[in-house]
Amino acid sequence: MKHFAWQWLVISSLVVGVAAAVAETRPQYGGTLRVAMHAAPVSLDPTASGQIDLLAGRNLTSLMFETLVTADAGGRLHPGLATTWATTDNQHWQFRLRHGVKFHDGAALTAEGVAASLRVANLAWKVTSEADLVVIELDRSDPRLPAELALPHNAIVKREPDGRLSGTGPFHVADWQPGKRLALAAEENYWKGRPYLDAVEIELGRNPHDQLMALELSKADLVEVPPEQSHRVAMEGRPVVTSEPMELIALVFARDPQTPAEKSLREALALSVDRGSIRSVLLQGTGQPAGSILPEWMTGYAFVFSAEADLVAARHERETVKVAPMFTVGYDAGDSISHLLAERIALNARDAGLALQPTTAATADLQVRRIALVSSDPWIALVEVAAATGLARPTSEGASVEELYTAEQSLLATQRLIPLFHLPAAFAASAAVRDWKPGADGSWDLADVWLGPGNGKP
Amino acid sequence: MRTAVYNSTISKANLNTVNSASRVAFRFRIVLCFFLLMLLVPGAARAEDWSVPEQQLARKIVAATGPGAVALTVENRSSLSKRESEIVSNGLHSALESLGLRFVAPEQAAAIVAISLSENPNAYVWVAEIRQGNGKTVVEMVSTPRAESVASGRDSVPLSIRKIPLWAQDERILDVAVLEENTAPTHIAVLGSEDVSLYRLQGGKWQREQALAVTHARPWPRDLRGRLIPGKNHLLDAYLPGVICHSTNAMPLTLNCQESDDPWPLVAGLVGSGPPANFPSFGASPTPAVAPVGAFFASARNFFTGALTPGVGRFATVPKFYSAAFLPRGNYVLWLFAALDGQIHLVDGVSDQPARLNWGSDLVSLRTACGAGWQVLATSTGAPGSDSIRAYEFPDRDAVPVSAAVDLAGTMTALWAETKGDSAIVVTRNGASGTYEAFRVAVACNQ
Repeated sequence: MKHFAWQWLVISSLVVGVAAAVAETRPQYGGTLRVAMHAAPVSLDPTASGQIDLLAGRNLTSLMFETLVTADAGGRLHPGLATTWATTDNQHWQFRLRHGVKFHDGAALTAEGVAASLRVANLAWKVTSEADLVVIELDRSDPRLPAELALPHNAIVKREPDGRLSGTGPFHVADWQPGKRLALAAEENYWKGRPYLDAVEIELGRNPHDQLMALELSKADLVEVPPEQSHRVAMEGRPVVTSEPMELIALVFARDPQTPAEKSLREALALSVDRGSIRSVLLQGTGQPAGSILPEWMTGYAFVFSAEADLVAARHERETVKVAPMFTVGYDAGDSISHLLAERIALNARDAGLALQPTTAATADLQVRRIALVSSDPWIALVEVAAATGLARPTSEGASVEELYTAEQSLLATQRLIPLFHLPAAFAASAAVRDWKPGADGSWDLADVWLGPGNGKP
Repeated sequence: MRTAVYNSTISKANLNTVNSASRVAFRFRIVLCFFLLMLLVPGAARAEDWSVPEQQLARKIVAATGPGAVALTVENRSSLSKRESEIVSNGLHSALESLGLRFVAPEQAAAIVAISLSENPNAYVWVAEIRQGNGKTVVEMVSTPRAESVASGRDSVPLSIRKIPLWAQDERILDVAVLEENTAPTHIAVLGSEDVSLYRLQGGKWQREQALAVTHARPWPRDLRGRLIPGKNHLLDAYLPGVICHSTNAMPLTLNCQESDDPWPLVAGLVGSGPPANFPSFGASPTPAVAPVGAFFASARNFFTGALTPGVGRFATVPKFYSAAFLPRGNYVLWLFAALDGQIHLVDGVSDQPARLNWGSDLVSLRTACGAGWQVLATSTGAPGSDSIRAYEFPDRDAVPVSAAVDLAGTMTALWAETKGDSAIVVTRNGASGTYEAFRVAVACNQ
């Protein structure tokens, strides 16, 4: 956890370093922020899940749409479109709507509109409205419903019959070319105050190299930086802002182990992975070796789950099984890091007497998966990882760290996934971008960003 | 039927005025005490009572090991200071001993207990990994909420600018007006985004007298700004983007707010027909004649449009600006406008001379009894996460610093001259706590 403070000191220093170059001035209105990103969504609907990575989806969604409840980087909840909420039994919930909020098309935000939106996002919920109250009835008790409502797929959307979407967020859509370009304009009557920027133009589907080139050539103001390149980019003099680790890289098995022998082989594989050297070489020192699903900064106990390689123990486990089949380990052909990880893990496994064959086939025995931790609420993050990997949803009535630990331990005990690394999100911005303060969870708030000299702003 | 409530807004609504006032007054006292403490004891540390989590973890450990000989290590992985972690470590040793554990070397121990003092964003997490003779490791843990971090004060700079805490609160402060004072303020008004709160010092405690709602039809712009001006025939006026409010004369007070693009006063003390009667000190040091000037504020932005009324000499408009200050000269007044492009425009009525002074966007002029008699306070970036303020004079058209820069220990969000003209209100936002803190600043003339 000292790392937590240290890392943020570095990040803060980088941010301050940018700001310190000029005298402090009040935010200036106007200008267009040019963003480039790798994701290439073909729909802006927050419920259109799975098409792009969750962190990028969350940041795009938050520009146009808002949720009833918001969560800060520490997982603490705050009022959003709902001002208050209450429950009698964690199964029946009431959310009181904020007054005076309008959709981008001018229509007032109503409880019925919110209920309709939530029904689309959550088919299992019974959502109704009473005056300015939204009433949600769950099929089971869930004390974390407010935190769940802070997730981007629960953003409130007004869906028109012709397919147009309208939100209440700080920007509205000016031009939308699916998978290619999204142009947003400031919402003049945004209830939290008009954004400083006049517009945001987002180029989609840009590879990391092109993004950095665009930044270098002053064709973009804000770009993503692959975590493994963040040190290099920073060394080249570009200020890089890095979040806390918000992505899990893990080996995910397609099914539960069927026999004790299969359990031993999975244990041998987990013990054989040399995360330390992989981090040094492939990840260029970025990220944290992981033996846990959730990162240390989120829980405070992740160090209990060892991420150390133990080749002796791995061989011992392997030798308990007479004949070991060859496993295929799949990776995303478009993701060089996944590919390199698969190759490297196959080498580690061979040292333990295991045979792994990397493949791009989707039907592999196990996959190198990159799973975004979409919420900084550790319980919600754990539930989302379980859902993404096909594991049973962990449930708990309480919220203590001890219960969280027990739930995470149970998920790991299934041996369906072997955590490898926790990676941060990283971004680089041009010198013109001011008050660019992504959250510790990598979330954006572009409504507070403004442009100083150097952007060609009129 | 019991209804559980999970967020703060409902509970805040249930607070009555007295409670709320007491709460705010309590915060004020904390800020004041902290301020004084930081002056007197720079290294003052905060003490925590760790006995409850120490006892909890000790009980869990002993439940796993039973009484007997153990080898114990305690490692600090958290942001706890070395001293604080030693206090916790000692407390854990004591708690475990009182439950029957003896501490021995690992080779003599029936169990090895490794305690890690860790943390997450909301809590300290203390984890005990217990390895016993059977080779199995048991993990036990407890958590205890982390206290809100206390802002660090940075007032060791020799004070050529006096900075006196006035008020602190979680909600944004746009301006503070001192309505009555003896040797110290006794009656103040605090302008927030939604109301003007009046506080009176009674029996050494601040009590909220009244909260006057600021009504507005349109959403406020970002970087909301607002100004309070004590009135001559009524208590005060409040200026906000596109909205101007006037208080009534009679009790109970009300605030009448209307959408208005009328100009804001740039020379607050002289806009009315005379000095306010509730400033005993005002008559002793009359402000030199400076013609009142008003400026139009952009109703959906955070700056003045540049249109002046009346104009300054031949200039009816100047570039859009964030703030203005003035320096009376022999036969004219030199105006300084902090423009949106970062330049300071020096306008004397005949010429407009832009200058890059590397100042921030907020400045005020103060009348003092030292130096040239008038100084300009201007802001600039100070320590990381903290702005600073410094006094300057203009012997000709070049700014000459006449004070040390004083760290504001936060990001400055407002700077307005007080009606008397010899002090200003500065509002900062503490980066660590998020609290807004209002100070009165004045140039000390005995340097």
